[in-house]
Amino acid sequence: MRFYMKNPQNVFLTGFYWAFVAYLFVPLMLMTAMSFKDSNFISFPIDSFTMKWYVQVVQDEQFLSAVGYSLMIAFIVTIVATAVGVWIALLASNEAIWGKAIIFALACLPAVVPGMIQAISMRIFIRAIDVPTGTFAIILGHTVHAVPFVVIMAMTRLRSMPSSLVDAARDLGADNFIAFFRVTLPYLGPALVGGMIFCALTSIDDFVRTFFLGGYQTTLPMLIFAKISGGMSPEINAMATLVLIATGAIGLYAERRVRRSRN
Amino acid sequence: MTLRNPTRRTTLKMMGTSAGLIAAPSIIRPAYAQDNVLNITTYDKFLPEGFVEQFEKDTGIEVRIRLTDDQGKQYNLLAAEGADPTTDIVTVAGHRLSQFMASDLLQPIDPARISTWDNLAGPYKGAPQLVRKGEVYGVPLLAGFEGMVRNTDYTKPSDSWGLMFDPEYKGFTTYIISDFVSITMKYLGYDGDFVAYVDKPEEAQAAVNAARDFLIEHKDMVRKFYDGGAEVQQMLVNEDVYVAQTWSGPAAKLIMDGFPIELSIPKEGTYGFLYSFNLVNHAPNVDAAYKFFSALLANPEVGAAMTRQSGFASAFSGVDKLLTDRERAAIALPEEQIARIQFFAEENRDMKNEMIDRAVAEIKAA
Amino acid sequence: MTNDVLTGGGQGARTSRARYSSWIGKVARSPFYRGTIGLLAENRVARLVVLLAVPLAWIAFFNIGPILQMGNISLLANYPLMDGDEPVYTLAQYALFFQESLYFVPFLRSLVFSLVVTAATLVVVYPVAYYIGKVIRPASRNKALLLLLTPFWAGEIIRVFSVIMLLANRGAVNALLRELGMIDRPIPMLYTYFSLSFGVVYLIALYMLLPLYSSIEKIPNSLLDAAADLGAGPLQRFRRVILPLSRDGIVSGCSLVFLTSIGVFAAPLLLGGPNTVIFPEIIAQLFHGSNDKWPAGAAFSIIMLLISLTTVGLFMRVVGGRNVKLM
Repeated sequence: MRFYMKNPQNVFLTGFYWAFVAYLFVPLMLMTAMSFKDSNFISFPIDSFTMKWYVQVVQDEQFLSAVGYSLMIAFIVTIVATAVGVWIALLASNEAIWGKAIIFALACLPAVVPGMIQAISMRIFIRAIDVPTGTFAIILGHTVHAVPFVVIMAMTRLRSMPSSLVDAARDLGADNFIAFFRVTLPYLGPALVGGMIFCALTSIDDFVRTFFLGGYQTTLPMLIFAKISGGMSPEINAMATLVLIATGAIGLYAERRVRRSRN
Repeated sequence: MTLRNPTRRTTLKMMGTSAGLIAAPSIIRPAYAQDNVLNITTYDKFLPEGFVEQFEKDTGIEVRIRLTDDQGKQYNLLAAEGADPTTDIVTVAGHRLSQFMASDLLQPIDPARISTWDNLAGPYKGAPQLVRKGEVYGVPLLAGFEGMVRNTDYTKPSDSWGLMFDPEYKGFTTYIISDFVSITMKYLGYDGDFVAYVDKPEEAQAAVNAARDFLIEHKDMVRKFYDGGAEVQQMLVNEDVYVAQTWSGPAAKLIMDGFPIELSIPKEGTYGFLYSFNLVNHAPNVDAAYKFFSALLANPEVGAAMTRQSGFASAFSGVDKLLTDRERAAIALPEEQIARIQFFAEENRDMKNEMIDRAVAEIKAA
Repeated sequence: MTNDVLTGGGQGARTSRARYSSWIGKVARSPFYRGTIGLLAENRVARLVVLLAVPLAWIAFFNIGPILQMGNISLLANYPLMDGDEPVYTLAQYALFFQESLYFVPFLRSLVFSLVVTAATLVVVYPVAYYIGKVIRPASRNKALLLLLTPFWAGEIIRVFSVIMLLANRGAVNALLRELGMIDRPIPMLYTYFSLSFGVVYLIALYMLLPLYSSIEKIPNSLLDAAADLGAGPLQRFRRVILPLSRDGIVSGCSLVFLTSIGVFAAPLLLGGPNTVIFPEIIAQLFHGSNDKWPAGAAFSIIMLLISLTTVGLFMRVVGGRNVKLM
């Protein structure tokens, strides 16, 4: 327990952590400050404040439906990508499989291709296999992009998993599947949550794949890009601030629930 | 309480529901070609909500709008879709029009099928920029040009593109590099639109090289090569740049908002272009598109909305009366400056694009 | 051993009776499941098929399919094809890359830039991950992580614009310095390598944080205690115990960051200056530009793909050492 004690390194690390927090938050706080600016363009100084941008955003049906649509897509993408990603990771970390390296490299491909190129090739590809653009195509495109993140995260953790754990479960009478759900999956826990965060994040933030694969329903990034092309305005800042507050609140709520369920 | 305590069972149910949602046939196969639907790809706020609703009510046609932010992406999407497009009408900027046409992505329109065609302002009815091989491509919406913008607080007046190369503003200028190669050619006395260079590739190459070398020599003047209107607006507002080459729209919008800049057309001249609604080749809903065009031109409010949103001048007649004094002032320029605008031509596009693309890459890599 | 901080309890904490009343237990007792398992247990081939089927199908169909599509385009003389055009195959696009310093130089620049960004991200994020994983009380870890995760939900474009507001000539930093009377003229920070790196690290730090955290967090405290008891100072503990044991996290974090940063496109476009043009921008130009240059763009993407995957492979082999049998 001595590592939790105050000592010089820990003081330094604490300072470093908070400096990093500042690095992440200061730009966003500027953005939030701008969302209250009573002017059509964003810059310092802020002379007068207004809530009108928030009123406008909250009443904007297009914004609300875009948020809902983006969330729906992100939710499905996260579930599908996690399942497929773990499956691939299991395969690629199985000692008995020949060509693991190739499987792993191929599984990582979509993470490397620049978004726009992937979007175009995906668009041509789904045309070749006769999948129309729209919600299904967006989900497919996002999932393909998200899977490598899960694979990499899961493999990192799997590699360090002592095989004795699974062996012990088998000795106790569990078959492969029970062993997987009871031992491997819980062990993967933190890595999986990390992977799921990546999935949801890349999906919600994705603009270019959505543009190429989507139909006529607007996602949040599409809306923001379209608005920015007409000029940066505090309205966009207000939108982003609302999204941030909502995510922060959901995160806090989930964290509290997790803590309570453990106690 | 069930909501607060999701069990595995409810989670499974949710997953099942979402799986069902994916599999729902209506989502798998949204019909792009069906009666009473019209698919439009355009910019945010170009079509006022009230207008679209009224049109839907009057005609029973459902209008679906896909927002775009960039001509390049719109082009790529159409090109990737090929002969099976998911959109009927696209919004094309004039400097890109030839590219869309060269790739066979658009079809000509028949003005006779648009009952309100005469509501276009005089110069835009069958404007030569939209005519190719005797056929009209597109309904003109907005007119813009490439202007010079300067911050009036920090810079001296000038009526020459030379201001962009004035050492006093070193590190305080910006431009769209592919557009500015053409303008630099004009500034140096060459034909930046390549019309004079049909079948004279050596002469053209020499002219491009001169402009390229000039821009490389003055590369330290530039703060940034930019791409979008929002970027140049933000740079001007943040005072990262004082002098810029911009399209007239983004600059006029800043002026409408009261920012201290001046937009002008320097004496060496500049290039102009039209924004237009264009009918996509193989568009699934041509009839609906014509109905839409007719309704569009009957309504100067739409033209005014587009002008307010983009800062470009409207091609519809009757829009002027709907704008405020400030909006009018922002897009108005003296007659003698307007006369300096040369619209992009149709000839020799391949040579122009080829050579300018190469020069752009070379300037960036220098 | 398993410290499932983020998932919370539920798996390990319950009694065995509670376990088998769960849905897994029900499924495990069903005749269908028994039958399938019986088959799988006896048949090695069937087991392999289950393990292989979904991953291989997924990879073949969705990962390789579109890339083959790209590869096909990269070999064509021109694309999109017009109605009635016959495809003509050529290797000219690939030759173009190696012939022209025009493309080669930005590519090298891009590669070096990504390596530097990856290293910088590692240096910045490692102490943070260590702090969360080992220094603070386990009960606060989730909160500390959560705090860092929140900003990433604002979206890439918004975060890029916030960096602009921080670094611009009339941005927050310059405004502050001017208020303090330290400068008369603003310091140009935007549109340089500085702003570009600042922004890219800002955008992708998360890709480093999560893998690092997940590997540091599982280093047993007992090892650190033991090292300290044996007289190892903080530096030595770090070098001999923590660093080697967090190697997996370093490898996967660096791979993620490198792969992401070499493909980033929007941020360099908005934050970079006239002298920071990098390769994805060139590729995008080939696709977006005024002429049809898709084949060249496709060929360049494939080259970039191969080289960055090779780089990551080499990196995994070198840093990952013997126990990582990936490549």
